[in-house]
Amino acid sequence: MSTPDTEKTLSVRDLRVRYGEREILHGISFDVPRGETLVILGGSGSGKSTLLRTLVGLQPATSGEVWIRGQDIAKLSEEDLDETRKKIGLSFQGGALFGSMTVGENVCLPLREHTQLEESTIQIIMRLKLEQVGLAGFENYMPSQLSGGMKKRAAVARAMAMDPEILFFDEPSAGLDPIIAAGIDNLILKLKKAFRMTIIVVTHELASAFLIADSMLLINKGDIVAHGSREEMEKSTHPRVRQFLDRVPEPEVAEEMDYLQMLTGEAPPRAL
Amino acid sequence: MAFFDSIGRNAIGGLAYVGGLARLSGRAAYYTLIGPFRGKALRWSRAFHQAMAVGVEALPILSTITFFVGLILALQGAYELRKFGALQYVAGGVAVSMTRELGPLMTAIVVIGRSGSAFAAEIGTMKVTEEIDALTTMALNPIQFLVTPKFLAMIVMLPCLTTWADFMGVMGGAVFGVTGASFTFGGYVQATLDALLKRDIITGLIKAVMFGAVITAVGCYEGFETGGGAEEVGRSTTSAVVMSIFMVIIVDLIFTSLFYLLGR
Amino acid sequence: MNIVTRQQGNSTLVDVQGDIDLYNSPEVRKIILEELKEKKVARLIVNLTGVRYIDSSGVASLVEGLKVSRSMSSRFMLYGLSPAAREVLELSRLIRVFEVYGTEQEALQAK
Repeated sequence: MSTPDTEKTLSVRDLRVRYGEREILHGISFDVPRGETLVILGGSGSGKSTLLRTLVGLQPATSGEVWIRGQDIAKLSEEDLDETRKKIGLSFQGGALFGSMTVGENVCLPLREHTQLEESTIQIIMRLKLEQVGLAGFENYMPSQLSGGMKKRAAVARAMAMDPEILFFDEPSAGLDPIIAAGIDNLILKLKKAFRMTIIVVTHELASAFLIADSMLLINKGDIVAHGSREEMEKSTHPRVRQFLDRVPEPEVAEEMDYLQMLTGEAPPRAL
Repeated sequence: MAFFDSIGRNAIGGLAYVGGLARLSGRAAYYTLIGPFRGKALRWSRAFHQAMAVGVEALPILSTITFFVGLILALQGAYELRKFGALQYVAGGVAVSMTRELGPLMTAIVVIGRSGSAFAAEIGTMKVTEEIDALTTMALNPIQFLVTPKFLAMIVMLPCLTTWADFMGVMGGAVFGVTGASFTFGGYVQATLDALLKRDIITGLIKAVMFGAVITAVGCYEGFETGGGAEEVGRSTTSAVVMSIFMVIIVDLIFTSLFYLLGR
Repeated sequence: MNIVTRQQGNSTLVDVQGDIDLYNSPEVRKIILEELKEKKVARLIVNLTGVRYIDSSGVASLVEGLKVSRSMSSRFMLYGLSPAAREVLELSRLIRVFEVYGTEQEALQAK
């Protein structure tokens, strides 16, 4: 196995993750070059959320390697891992804003904890970040006073507070109306252009994926089905890719006998 | 067979639980000790706010409860003592029972109800809403960030509250002393002071510190152990209260035995 | 990162060389505020020709400089922005808030 190219901001090598007896990811490898946007597509239960949690170090890998900025995160000490974490931002699906702090305090928190910046500078950065996500003037609101879309945007502002090199998004447009979702896509494009950020988005929204991605990764049941540029994915004839892109539902249980056995509980357990 | 099997299982589960508490306390203690040298003023202000919530806001209910407990102790004690015509010993009885046992214990019970459950609910909710994960990805250690200020606050506030509880208990006893046992107020206070040894107060305060540590550890541990979903937070809160009371009683037993043996 | 200040007519120039990030932006801020508040210079021109990358804390420091210059009624100008730095200011809608010039000559001659 070759040592990952340090020019790649993120490299994953034969990554396996297991919860107890169940293996969720069966050996995944891919690279993300600096400044590119990768969209990880997959249905519910495909393992894409587990992949994201592993990439940011919330879930330890069972085997395989995750390289971030030229370092294998599994081999880092807790302190070095924290140094790496300061260079990445994660925007959580539900926002995960700290409910006991105002929106502004949420954005200021990493700056106050990790930098020696003056409070006046921190305040200006916080307002800049909120302006960039379209939440100027909301710094004194509590998270509970915000709508779902606003929470997500505030979470993006917080994830960007330290000017990360890699920004991760977990389902950025899930549960948002189309206009707000488009606004978040637009923001991702602007960030990429202005800050040359490497952006990794986990989603199942196709329209959004085709708008923002440089490359795409389709995973299904813990395996990579396809990995390629936007154009390659569009032209792909791979049945799983077509099924996902053309939104074909899973085939119905084929044989009536199987169905009957399943209903009566006599069917042997399905292999995973 | 199944009976012994379940005893074994419970014993192992219990040991694992205590192990989890010890690990959490150890890490919190580590951050408490190194924290002041590396940390920032912000952490002190969080500890201060926590201390206000744990301590000052508990004063009204704690005062009321311990005042009545002192009064109850005096009444119960007098019931026995008057048979021997020894009502003058009520003051000492109340004072020693309060400082050695009921002051710290009642304080612990009130703090468990107010703060131990709140710790579990706070951390449990943060777990469910991914706020704990958010702290981790922001390179903020959840134990250092959330548990350490609580530990500091509790370890400082519990002895303070206990001292106040002791005082209120004595006042409650004095009400009976003055109205039912022909003490003057000054005489009752004097009798209390004469009966109390420094050791009584100190052993009570040592217990209070230990209770503070136990309540924090259990409340935070239950919070971190919360599974997914809002209903799980309720379960954590309940078990934080039940387990805290249980653990406080165990610690009380251990320390009371220890003081008994040492005091011979 | 390296910062040098020099005098050119009635203008004070601050030449910044290198990337401005979270760790060294306080230094940029300190020098800019010192010139404005203590030395009370009339025109402060920040030369960003040697700056490839400027992060949000750098932008925030410049904003502070601008704010202080207004309260001291002195001029605060920037020149030599890299395309990346320009993008950052545009994203935060600050490009029109600052007085931005292409070259040192333009900045010096600005009325």
